[in-house]
Amino acid sequence: MDAIVAEASLRIALVGVPNCGKTALFNRLTGSRQKVANYPGVTVERREGERLAADGRALRILDLPGTYSLTPTTLDEAIARDVLLGRVADAPAPGLVVCVVDAVHLPIGLRLALEVKRLGLPMVLALNRMDVAERRGVKIDIARLATELGVPVLPTIAVKRGGADALIDAIQPSLWEGHRRVAAPGWQESSAEDAEQTQVDLRGVLAAVGYSAPQESHWMARFDSVLLHPLYGLLVLVAVMFVMFQAVFSWAEAPMDWIDAGMSWMAAATAASLPAGPLSSLLVNGVIGGAGAVLVFLPQILILFLFILALEDSGYLPRAAYLLDRMMGGVGLSGRAFIPLLSSFACAIPGIMAARTIPGWRDRLTTIMIAPLMTCSARLPVYALLISALIPAREVGPFNLQGLVLFTLYVAGIVSALVVAWVMKHFAGARQYSPLMLELPDYQWPHAGNLLLGLWERVKIFLSRVGGIILALMIVLWFLSSYPAPPEGATGPPIQYSFAGRLGAMLEYLFAPIGFNWQISIALVPGLAAREVAVGALGTVYAMSAAGDDVAGQLQPVIASTWSLATACSLLAWYVFAPQCLSTLAVVKRETNSWRYPIIMAAYLFALAYVASFITYRVVGAWA
Amino acid sequence: MKTPDSNADSSRPLAELHRGETAVIAALTEVTGFDDGLGSGAIVLARLRDLGFVAGARCEVIARMWPVGDPLVVRIGGSTFALRRAEAAAVRVTRTEAEPVARAQLAPKDTSAALA
Repeated sequence: MDAIVAEASLRIALVGVPNCGKTALFNRLTGSRQKVANYPGVTVERREGERLAADGRALRILDLPGTYSLTPTTLDEAIARDVLLGRVADAPAPGLVVCVVDAVHLPIGLRLALEVKRLGLPMVLALNRMDVAERRGVKIDIARLATELGVPVLPTIAVKRGGADALIDAIQPSLWEGHRRVAAPGWQESSAEDAEQTQVDLRGVLAAVGYSAPQESHWMARFDSVLLHPLYGLLVLVAVMFVMFQAVFSWAEAPMDWIDAGMSWMAAATAASLPAGPLSSLLVNGVIGGAGAVLVFLPQILILFLFILALEDSGYLPRAAYLLDRMMGGVGLSGRAFIPLLSSFACAIPGIMAARTIPGWRDRLTTIMIAPLMTCSARLPVYALLISALIPAREVGPFNLQGLVLFTLYVAGIVSALVVAWVMKHFAGARQYSPLMLELPDYQWPHAGNLLLGLWERVKIFLSRVGGIILALMIVLWFLSSYPAPPEGATGPPIQYSFAGRLGAMLEYLFAPIGFNWQISIALVPGLAAREVAVGALGTVYAMSAAGDDVAGQLQPVIASTWSLATACSLLAWYVFAPQCLSTLAVVKRETNSWRYPIIMAAYLFALAYVASFITYRVVGAWA
Repeated sequence: MKTPDSNADSSRPLAELHRGETAVIAALTEVTGFDDGLGSGAIVLARLRDLGFVAGARCEVIARMWPVGDPLVVRIGGSTFALRRAEAAAVRVTRTEAEPVARAQLAPKDTSAALA
């Protein structure tokens, strides 16, 4: 918590409208010395980084959520305003505000700058995207802009090396230290008259600096005429989604094999170098086997995130939201929900957090509640294992039966999400109208550096999960399934006599009607904390050999020979719905600031899972 | 309050513009549809204003979604926004084909591509 102790006057806040290049500028200022946490009480992402000033002191740089105005319409925007006003616990008002304005879209950013300036905090203005502005014939008299505003104006090009040097020189603490650091005491939200005045001021400044609007970009207009077209636009969207999911599976194959081989090698080496016994068993089966079973999905998760980040950076995602707004409105969702729901295919947690950008509590809540129904990457290990073990790789027309089953599981998640949203729309009380009003930013090539930083952040989160909760669970599970040891002369597998075996035997009563045996019942217990753990857990439960071959590879024949098709299908159905991720529920608790919604979510997902598995088990059982 | 009018110079809602049509914003008006007793109507108007939907601004509808043209995409002040009909109904515009000077200043040379 050193962030809090840092001298308040050395804090710098970056504020700006969405898509102004603020985060790219933040990356330029802080490099990889940044961390993502949450503001107290809410999970608005708090992106903070560090940079050394010329005098050697550390500047704390805070990247506030993008906002169009200090009159907020979303939670994100409210946080940005509250930080500036010093209303957020643990985040004292910054010593300096860097207002980032996209030079290409000067009016909208400058309007916010005028509003922020009225807060009375020391401020500099970073006029970003100067290169694009020049290319598109935007004229701005920068010196005049500085005099009009009475603050330093620094031209920047956030995506270019050295493009923020002028700004870096300007953010030396000596330049603002000693200034008042409290926002104007009597600050109030803009009244209609204030807003009117701001518009008048804005027009005055724009005229004074000789601003001319950017030339229409030829290729962007062409792009828009296709990508926003009601028919072609939707076709492109479907194609993009198809390529994305295709890539997740085909591109990831090779790196997954490497990770798999690496883990096997580690397990074999460990087994060979240690005497057989509890320690060797713990390391090989518990730690390496457990973590490896999860780690192997890192490539898929990264590819999915790479696509999402690239689509976001290119400016395409809001256009997809526009295309889908009408359709999603039919079940009571905003088109804006598309972005959080798409992220949920990688992981529901960033998806649920991205729902903050949806104005309107109802819309936001609906999006949060259905996010776990999107097939997240943690389900893939389980799906992949069961499908390859039990579904024959038969050709069905041009398709592969295994692929079709996987596709069906994805579709089942989406369809049930739509149904749940529809039910919420009709039975969960009056709806507040929440506007779309979505900016469609300029298209741009995704910036490799920013993509890599974004991916690196995901890798860190994933690895800390593997290293933390998942590893801990695997060790606990290893203990539960290894002790107590079976009595002398026992005939069954040792695990039956362990704590886990007894727990599984109890749970089997609950799960027998949906076709789960005691091994599955045991594996579901650690699987509650994180879905993907269930694969490793099944491996442990089936007492895999210590030879160290990959868990999934060994499990397949066991499952194929001991489970019925009905049981496997039932477990697949269970995984489409079951709320098997404590982190998700914890995030929902924080996002909604109440226990009510995570409890409702867990309950409805459990009910759906049980019913779906029951039906699947009976139907497949009768038919197979 | 507003009298629907067929005169070319009277104002009409932005939501009625066809794809490719340009107009100048006359005023923002209170509309029903956002009424929930929580004042979200005022928030919608305030936000529209913050996005640049102010009297005198020139805008162009560059796309409308099937089947009923909702939502629509509006280019204004060099930025582009997707609005629903309900939001666009709050923006009154006047027709302006006959203002070549202002038009040229806003979007020189290659607007034909945007309209094509």
